[in-house]
Amino acid sequence: MSENHFSRSGIFSAFSRFVPFFGRDPLVAADQVTDRSLVAVISILTFLAALTACAAQLTAATAMRWQVMMVSEVTVQLKPQAGRSIDTDIVRASDILRGTAGITSVKVLRREESAKLLEPWLGSASSIESLPIPRLIVVQIDTHQPPDLASVGKALADAVPGTSLDDHRTWTKRLGHLSNLFLIASFGALLLVVLTTGLTIVFATRGAMAGNREIIEVLHFIGADDRYIAGQFQSHFAVLGVRGGLLGGGAALLLVLTLKLSMMIPDGLQFSGLSEVPILDWRTVFVTFCVIVLVGIVAGLASRITVYRTIGMLA
Amino acid sequence: MSFNPHHALTTLKKVEGSLQAFPYRSVGELVRFENVGLRYGVGAETLTDVSFSIEPQSFQFLTGASGTGKTTLLRLIMQALKPTRGTVVLFGQDTSLLEKDGLTALRRRMGIVFQDFRLLDHLTTYENVALPLKVQGRDEVTYRAEVTELLNWVGLGELIHAKPPILSGGEKQRASIARALVAQPELLLADEPTGNVDPSLARRLLRLFVEMNRSGTAILIATHDLGLMDQIEGARRLVLADRRLYVEANDV
Repeated sequence: MSENHFSRSGIFSAFSRFVPFFGRDPLVAADQVTDRSLVAVISILTFLAALTACAAQLTAATAMRWQVMMVSEVTVQLKPQAGRSIDTDIVRASDILRGTAGITSVKVLRREESAKLLEPWLGSASSIESLPIPRLIVVQIDTHQPPDLASVGKALADAVPGTSLDDHRTWTKRLGHLSNLFLIASFGALLLVVLTTGLTIVFATRGAMAGNREIIEVLHFIGADDRYIAGQFQSHFAVLGVRGGLLGGGAALLLVLTLKLSMMIPDGLQFSGLSEVPILDWRTVFVTFCVIVLVGIVAGLASRITVYRTIGMLA
Repeated sequence: MSFNPHHALTTLKKVEGSLQAFPYRSVGELVRFENVGLRYGVGAETLTDVSFSIEPQSFQFLTGASGTGKTTLLRLIMQALKPTRGTVVLFGQDTSLLEKDGLTALRRRMGIVFQDFRLLDHLTTYENVALPLKVQGRDEVTYRAEVTELLNWVGLGELIHAKPPILSGGEKQRASIARALVAQPELLLADEPTGNVDPSLARRLLRLFVEMNRSGTAILIATHDLGLMDQIEGARRLVLADRRLYVEANDV
């Protein structure tokens, strides 16, 4: 007889010997409804986990970028002083800054630019012209050889009264804390989702094994050892886990891709400040891939541990 | 054990007339029960002081009225139950000392025909019959012809792709027997193997058992069918009554 009744042979059979997820003959009676539900649940969980991981990665990357920007920039503020010309003071302060080693650029904001920064609080009424608006100097520093900001601040204050130097340290610290907090929360959420996936697999495996109790008994009587029987269940549920993981992870990637594309369309879905965020670069794909692999590993381990524990009880 | 299924099946086709069990010679017991008792829970013993042995290549019937413990005794032999007391020795090994791997190895030396067939409904007849070989890790190429030939002989050659739910009781019975025989066991345990078939098929199946016995397999058939037992000359009878086992003398 030339037909292969178990419908697995040749290269596929050899492949299945080394890769346990493929080529298994279906000794486990598959319950289509349960299997589909399980795949759906794992897909949803993986989708949420992948989005959480992507959001955490984006937050970390963005916070890092902002921190670098803030650390490389300091702001000098000159408050108007009675009896002094602020225009003269600002030129003097600029000269001191330009003459300091470690400072790469000095940009004086015009009065209108400073007023514009206050618009959210004071409005754009013409009366703003009469107000004593502080003037700002934006200073870029060489982060590799930064100047001694304390002595620069003191030199400025001595030469030009009413001058203060803000190195953004408070904001950088707050941003760092916020970013870390978000990362920890994301990691916790990811752990919970993975744990839920594992428990779902455990319950599904237990249910399937209880439902297949007679099959397990028959397999024992005809000479199958625990390892063989466990392999049948384990690979069945590991495959379902990986399938759910791929579906959920793929959907998450698709969503991120859509977001990315919509941000590229003029007048499309644009988010202020997000346009520079590296959405869907290799890191996003890598993080999503890691989540899929993690779900696959958890599914495999959960079903393996459950199968071995349950098989002992059933035997 | 030198056993050739092809030879067995070929010679089987030539067997006509009376059926006679193989006149065995003792070369060590396959099964030995010593004062075995079994109790479920805290009640009285279901089986009491059961002592007997099964020799290689022997043929015996296990009989008794319904509810006397035939299936229970078979389950003790196949290690589905542990005795409450006494000793069960299988293939020379005390089963109370067996590890799990050892139990699997012993079960591979037995073939079992269940009263309720126990075929896997989602597998085809071919896959069910080939299962004992498959779980041993054998490559399908090495047993495909063997399984097909066995299926042809038991009259299921046309149904190799059929699944149990569409098979009749007799067909399931034959598939179950084929599955028990396919791995060429040293001991075959059959629980009412002819209970669901007509007399002519029963005789045909019995002939299969006899030929397997002639080829070297020890047979133990649990039945309450006296007519069936009368068809085999020289078969030993183990009779269960009043929770005890009585061994009738061999005719030959």
